[in-house]
This record gives sequence, C-alpha cells and structure tokens, in this order.
Amino acid sequence: MIDFFQMVVSGIAVGSSYALMGLAMVIIYKTSEVVNFAQGEMALLSSFFAFMIMEHHHIPFYAAIPATLVFSLFLGFFLEFAVLRRAKDPSVLGMIIITIGLEMILMGFVSWKFGADYKALPFPISPYESVAMGGVYASALEVLTFGVALSLMLILFLFFRFSKLGVAMKATQQNPVAARLMGIRTNRIVMMTWGVSSVTGCFAGLSISAALMHPYMMWDPMLKGFAAAVMGGMTSLPGAVFAAYLLGIIENLFGGYISIEFKSVVAFVIIVLVLCFKPSGLFARHYVKKV
Amino acid sequence: MDMKRDYYEDVQLFSSGVAIFWFVALMIFLGAFPFMVKNYYVYMANYIAINVIVAVGLNILVGYTGQISLGHAGFFAIGAYGTIILISQFHFPFLLALPAAGVIAAFFGFILGLPALRLDGPYLSIATLGFGLSITQVIGKIELFGGRQGLHAPELMIGSWTLDTDREFYYILMVIVILLTLGARNLMKTRVGRAFIAIRDADIAAETIGINLLWHKTMAFAVSAFYAGVAGGLYAFVLRFVEPEVFTLLLSILFLSMIVVGGLGSIFGAIAGACLLSWLDLTLRNILDVPLVGDWLKILSKSWFSITGVSNIQFILFGLIIVLIMLFEPRGIFGIWIRTKKYWKTWPF
Amino acid sequence: MNRRFFVFISLLSMIFCFSLNAMAEEGMTDTEIHVGQWGPQTGPAAAWGSVPRGTDDYFKMINAQGGIHGRKIIHHMFDDAYNPAKTKAGVKELQEGTGIFAWVSGVGTAPGLAVKDYIMDRKVPWIGPASGSLHWITPPEKYLFTVYPLYYLEAKALCKYSIETLGKKRIAIAYQNDDYGKNGLKGAREELARHGLKLVAEIPVELKDTDMKPHVMKMRKSKADAVLLWTSVSHAVRLAGTSAAMRFKPQFMTTSTCSDFPFMYHISKGLWKGVIAATFAEVPGSEKPLFKQYKKEVFEKYANKGERWGLFYYAGIFLAEPFVEALKRAGRDLTRERLVKELEGLKDFQGISGKVSYKPFDPKDPTCRLGVKEIFLVQCLDGGKTKKLTDWMEIK
Repeated sequence: MIDFFQMVVSGIAVGSSYALMGLAMVIIYKTSEVVNFAQGEMALLSSFFAFMIMEHHHIPFYAAIPATLVFSLFLGFFLEFAVLRRAKDPSVLGMIIITIGLEMILMGFVSWKFGADYKALPFPISPYESVAMGGVYASALEVLTFGVALSLMLILFLFFRFSKLGVAMKATQQNPVAARLMGIRTNRIVMMTWGVSSVTGCFAGLSISAALMHPYMMWDPMLKGFAAAVMGGMTSLPGAVFAAYLLGIIENLFGGYISIEFKSVVAFVIIVLVLCFKPSGLFARHYVKKV
Repeated sequence: MDMKRDYYEDVQLFSSGVAIFWFVALMIFLGAFPFMVKNYYVYMANYIAINVIVAVGLNILVGYTGQISLGHAGFFAIGAYGTIILISQFHFPFLLALPAAGVIAAFFGFILGLPALRLDGPYLSIATLGFGLSITQVIGKIELFGGRQGLHAPELMIGSWTLDTDREFYYILMVIVILLTLGARNLMKTRVGRAFIAIRDADIAAETIGINLLWHKTMAFAVSAFYAGVAGGLYAFVLRFVEPEVFTLLLSILFLSMIVVGGLGSIFGAIAGACLLSWLDLTLRNILDVPLVGDWLKILSKSWFSITGVSNIQFILFGLIIVLIMLFEPRGIFGIWIRTKKYWKTWPF
Repeated sequence: MNRRFFVFISLLSMIFCFSLNAMAEEGMTDTEIHVGQWGPQTGPAAAWGSVPRGTDDYFKMINAQGGIHGRKIIHHMFDDAYNPAKTKAGVKELQEGTGIFAWVSGVGTAPGLAVKDYIMDRKVPWIGPASGSLHWITPPEKYLFTVYPLYYLEAKALCKYSIETLGKKRIAIAYQNDDYGKNGLKGAREELARHGLKLVAEIPVELKDTDMKPHVMKMRKSKADAVLLWTSVSHAVRLAGTSAAMRFKPQFMTTSTCSDFPFMYHISKGLWKGVIAATFAEVPGSEKPLFKQYKKEVFEKYANKGERWGLFYYAGIFLAEPFVEALKRAGRDLTRERLVKELEGLKDFQGISGKVSYKPFDPKDPTCRLGVKEIFLVQCLDGGKTKKLTDWMEIK
C-alpha cells in the first residue's frame, strides 16, 4: 500500500514540471492558436543563462533567479516581436513550422555556446535530500516545484479571469478584430503572452536544471507537457495542470505495477482514449466548427 | 494557375506539350546523373529520393486532406522492418516485399485514421505523435525484429541479380519514385483526390454533398502511410541496418517540415522541400570546411562560444533556413516558384 | 624490326609503371596517411564528441614529432550526430572522395554497424571502434580490430567482485534499453549464474526517460544490496540521486562510461562517493609517465578551450595507440596488408589502457580480434579522488 502512495507522490512530483510546460503552451495557444514547439528550448536558454551568470560571473543564487526570469520574459517578447509577428498571413501549420525552426536555432545556439558536457546548476535546495511523509519520500526540490506549479497556476488563473490584461488576452483570442475595435492593442497583448509563457517555462527549466543540465534536457518535459495540455484541453489552464498531474501519476503507476518500458507508450494511449471520448480535451468546451 | 477550359484539361496528367518536354528532359537528366558525378552523390541522391517519396505521401495527407501527422516515422519504421522480415524470414522476393510492407503500413495508417475522424489540430498531432513513439517502442521489444540491437538488411536481389552498388539501386529507386509521384498526381485528379481536397477546405460541407468522411479520411491516412512504408523499405536497403532509435520523433518533424517548407498542397512543393531539407541535412555538417565562412565561424567560436560545440551551427542554419522561408513565403518553395512565374509572365508591366 | 621491338619494350614498361602506380595504396601517399573517424559533435550523444577530438590532438602530437617514417597522419573527422544515416553518408564521402587508408575509433554501436559491412567489403582496416559491443567480434572480421573491452566482460568483472570480495548476494541491474545495456545484462546474468545466483531485478531504462522514480522503486522493492548502473551518465546520476532521495543506499557499480570520477562527483554534487566503477584506462589522476606525457603534449598543447581531460578524450588517444604502434612497426613500406599483419603481431602492447594482443585471423575464434581483455576496478572517494580497488584483471 505504501508503494502505491509512493508512486502517486512520485507522479505528482514529476507532474509538476509537465504542468509548468503545459501551462506555458496553453497560454500561447489561448491567445494565438499557435502550438509553440520552441517552448522547451526557450526554457533551456533561460536555464543556461542562469547557469552562465552563476558559474562564470559568480552572481549569487538569490539575485540570479530573478535576473533569469526577467531574461526569459524579454526572450519571449523578442521572439514574438522579431519572428512570429513577421510571418505574413500564416497558416496554423506554417506557424508550427516556424516554431520548430526556432527550436532548432535555440537548441543549436545553446549547444554551441555551452558545449555538450553535462553540467549541474548550483542550487541551495538539493535535489537529493528528501522529505519523509510516513513511509513516503519526496525530494525537497520536488516539493518546492509542486508549490511553485500550483501557485503559478492559481496566479495565472486569477490573472486571466480578473485582471484587465488577462481579459484583454482572452478577448484577443476570441475575436482579434473586435478586440482591436475595442481599443486593445492586440500586437502588444500577444507579445506579452509570449513573455508570460516564457517565464512559466523558465520555472520548469530551472527545476529540471537543479539535477543535471544538458542541451537535450527539455525535450521530454515539453512533449509530456504538450500531451498533458492536449488532454486537459488546449484552452484551459486548470485543465492542463490537472491533466499533467494525472499523466505523471498514471505513468508512475503503470511503471511500478506493470512495465517500465512501456510507460510512455501507455501515457499516450490513455490520452488518445480520452480524446476519443472528449475530442477537445477534458476541460475545454468542445469547440464547435461553424459551417 | 492557368485556367482550365474543360473537364478533360483538368484531368490530364501533363498540362501541355511544354510540360511533357520538361518531363522528358528531367528523365534524361536523372538517367545520366549517376555517370556524371562521383558515387557519393549517387548515395546522396538515393537518400533524397527516399525522402521525396515520404514527402509526396505525407503531402497527400496534410496538404490535400488537411490532416496532420507527427507520427510518420512510425510508418517509415513499419515499412523498413516489414520489408526486411518479409525478405529474410518469409522469403518474399524484393519486388513483392516492398509493396507488401507498404500495405502493412497502410493498414496501420487506416487504424490511425480512425481517431482522426473526431480530432483536429493539436489533438490529432498528439494522437499521431503517440502512435509514432509507440511503434518504435513495440518494435524494440520484439526479439524477432532484432529488439534494441537492430536488424541487418539482407542482400538485395531482384530475380537473380544482386544489387549492391549505389548506382544500381539508384535506378530502381528512380523508377519507384517516378511511378509513385505520377500516381499521386493522378490520384489528385480523380474523384478520390477531389474528395480529399474538399475535406480539407470544408469537411462538414463535404459531408453534406455526399462524401463519406470515414472512408476518405482513413483512406488518406492509409495512402500516405503506404508511401512512407515503401520509402522505409527502400531506406532499409540504403542504410543496410535498422534499429528503433533511427526512427525518432525528430524524423517525423523533419518530414512535416519538408512539405510545409516546400509548399503544402502541391506535389512540386513536396519534392522541392524534400530535396532541399534532406540535402541540407547531409551537407550542412561541412559548413566548417567552406573557405571564408568556416574560418570566420571558428574564430567566432573561439572567442565567444565553446569550440567543442561548433558543429551545432548546422542546427542553427537549418532552423534559420526554415524560419526564413516560412516568414517570407508562407506558401513555401512552391509559393516562391509561383511568384517568380507570375512575375515573369506579367513583366514588364 | 629494331624499332618495333623498341616500341614494344617502351609500351610494356609504360604499362608496368602505370600498374605500379595502381598498386599504391588508397589513402596513402609518400608523405601522408589518411585516417577517418566519425563522432557525435551534435545531438543527444554529443558528450562523446570528445573521443574524435582526442584522437585528432593525439595525431597532431605525432605529426609534430615528425610523423611516422616520414608520413604525416591526416585525420578526417566528421560529425554524424549519432545518426547511422549520416555516418554512412560521411564514410562514403570520405572513402570514395578523399580515399581513406584506415578507420580509427568511431563512436557508437549503431552508427558503426551501419558502416561495418561497407568498410569490410572494401578491405579497409578499422581499429578500435569506440564501443564495447559483441557485434564487432561475432563474427570476427579480418580487418576489424577492437581495442575497447567488451561491456559483457565489464559486467562479469563487476559481478564477480561484488560477490566474491564484497559478499553481496542481491544484485540488480538498471540497463539502458539498447545494445550497450543488453550486453551488460548478458554479462551480469552469466556471471551470476556461475555463482548460482540470479539478478533480483532487471530494470530497463529508456534513453528518453528523465524521471527515474519508477526504476528506483523497483530497485527498492527488490531489496538489492548492489545495483549495476548500465546507463549513460545522465541517467546514472539521476538514478543515484533519486535513490538518495528515497533513502535507498545500495552499493552502486557502473561501467567505464561513468568512471570519470572528478567529473561525476562534480555533476552529482557529491553523490558519487563510494561508487565502484570498472575502467580500462588510467584514471584521470594517474601518475604513469606515458599518461602524464600525453596530458602535457597532447591535451595542454592542442586541446581546445573548454575541453576537459576526461575519459572520453583520452579514449580517443588509446583507441588509436595500437594503430600508431602497428604503423611504426610496418616501416616505410606500408600497405594495408602489412598493417594487418603488424596488428596481428601485437602481443601485450600497452599504452595507457590495458594490454593489447591480437592473434592471426581465425573466423571461428572471436578473440583473435579482441584487443583488450583486462580491466580494473576503482572506487570514488571524497572530492572525486580515485582509489584503485584491484589491479588489471583478465576476464574470461
């Protein structure tokens, strides 16, 4: 029985990074209907930026983290402004390919600048010390990430529902022309969306970097985050988070009881099954195509 | 581009005498190609040709039917493993094993098409992505397929000929590529092809005029899977060794990029995109040997970046080319071609 | 009559001269020997990219010393991103374009297997593939000489030590789900069977997995007291870390891949203390004169900024050492056949790895092309220091 709880706790722990990535992707999708494949590499660049200022410029941890967050904010702004906006009359698939191209550029850049050797990010909280709850263990870092993920989700949810900027973002997604008519500067709104999303992804990147860093570290979390966002509904923030945790738990339970090799496969099979019953994800309102 | 004046003009395979002339000229060039260049370029041409087959097939699904697939590496893998198993375990002749493997891939394509009926956009991409990943996992588990250690391709024999040089393989490959491309073009001109296009443009409206969505959507998946399967079988012989790690998500993404960069919804675009991107894939690693640019990059690396990671420039360039093409011409290489044609047609007005 | 005879003789001599030229070996001139190598400079396996760079710098040192019998070694290395298609493209380009005399090292089992038949069909010698797979010697090929010890043997050595010296009874293995891991699994199973034991847990690790908790839970459930980590560096660190977080502390044993203790200690933030590894070359802090000489004359002179003096780097050196030795012994009159003969004649040749020996080619005997059959074990101490646990042991 204790094993079952351990697996659930482990699933929640790993689900936090999926949740953060999923949140990041949903934020962008909500406002511009673009699936951002470069999400992982944006977080990667921010994490390596943190590594660089901590290792080479000896900036202490508590100053480096806010600096990194600001960096990722501006990275998001920059990418949207310089690249996505320049696309003339793009199709959905075209935008996806642009993000894929961006992903390659960012990944190549990080690998070029930092080399391929494994690195470790100096972190005050060790990823290897754990907190014991009964017979169940979770590492201190995981508890922190969990807390961050949940609070971020709450903040974002409230932000989108109640703040002016958040409502403006929703309006931009629903009908850009009407939004512009109402005086919303849609270009700027989309740019800020990218910034917020980049910061969310940066949290995910940092929590993964605390253990081990190398240029390919964000691929798996991004995929799983994307899968979770899809399962939860690409337009629903709580949905993405819930689905991410669910995904983590299912993976761990399956890996523990049945087969470790196939745990990722099963995750995707479950998602496909869910989508068969709810084609728009668990929590999103089913988008009805107008004829 | 040019207006079609009657039904027969629309359906014919070559739009004019000029098109036939260029086609014949292309055939002659392709035929003479292996004798004009060194053997390594023939190998490169083989690699590009295989990607062309996949691109043309994927284009039928994504460009013409409006679906999306991030799992085509899975069909590619099924084709590769299927061909090898059919030849070595079941003693099929090569010319039979290849289409048979394609049919097996088509069957899986059909199955994948079923969820596609209700899914769209990112939801469909996750479903197909999951499929692609699962296929490699399952193949890796089965010892008959060599498990994780991979399989060696047997000798390629057609009748009693053993083909073991790149040049011989090139000719077989070219024949297959031309047949499949003409087949795709033909398909688009038939009723089924038009149905695909109708589904892409407005699937609800298509259903109301009597197009059976179930049949056509799954058919689109099956046909594009067939192409990918045949290409996979050929790839097994080009590489002579397959293992599950060759068929990654990155490969599926590369296939998708090929058709989008080349131009969605056009066979010419699919071919152009496949040629460009696979050529870049193979040759970009030599960027450091290019006289001026290479040295400048090395100097830049030494001062600002790590010299050890300098080969990653190829990723940056690859991504940059994709992004630039998509930014400046969303319709891809085909769009650039059309635009140039239009420009010269109306010049000097 | 005289004229015709004269013309005939000159024609004959011209033909003779041309055929002499044709007999000159591919990839070799009077002043150059062309050697090729592939390695992942980009992609997920790029950490192994230091192997070809190590060989490159080693050859630079050799050339600076005057080359071998007046010939300089021209080293062609290319990036294949661990993708067999690219490996094959690159090998074909170099072999048919520039002409390669011999291939040295070459990272990866899958990339190597994609080009093995091609290289062997052309009768081009290949020395020291950078992988310990059984594929290289089953079946043995006349022109393929291995230097890297078999993963299979490393597993056997580690199991033997843990059972006989440490007295462990419950041994588990976490293995990467590919050729590398499966070889280790095979070796472990066989050695344990010899002692009448079985593995208490066999845990596959996918390359893409980042979350190691299910794996550690399985380990913990099996109550293993020693765990073989047959994975890549990142997975090994994660496994050790997750185990520490779950308060599960078996004796970890790893392969040579994770034996670079200063490095491992640093990136695992000290967790690597106490880990036992098998290794087949001098440890980074070794005092052996040849080792220090290489460090000074190869690494410090030629290595790029940001390069690390680690196992992968000097693996590039010792994988090429037998080749260089055989070149020296073959003398000025160099052909591929003479190279093969000199390699076969190597007996207990030792550079900075274990003793290298080959035997004349026998298609039924895999060990005729198995260069190194001995390894030794080391343990990680505080601060990343290394303690030698055993001496060179030959494993059957």
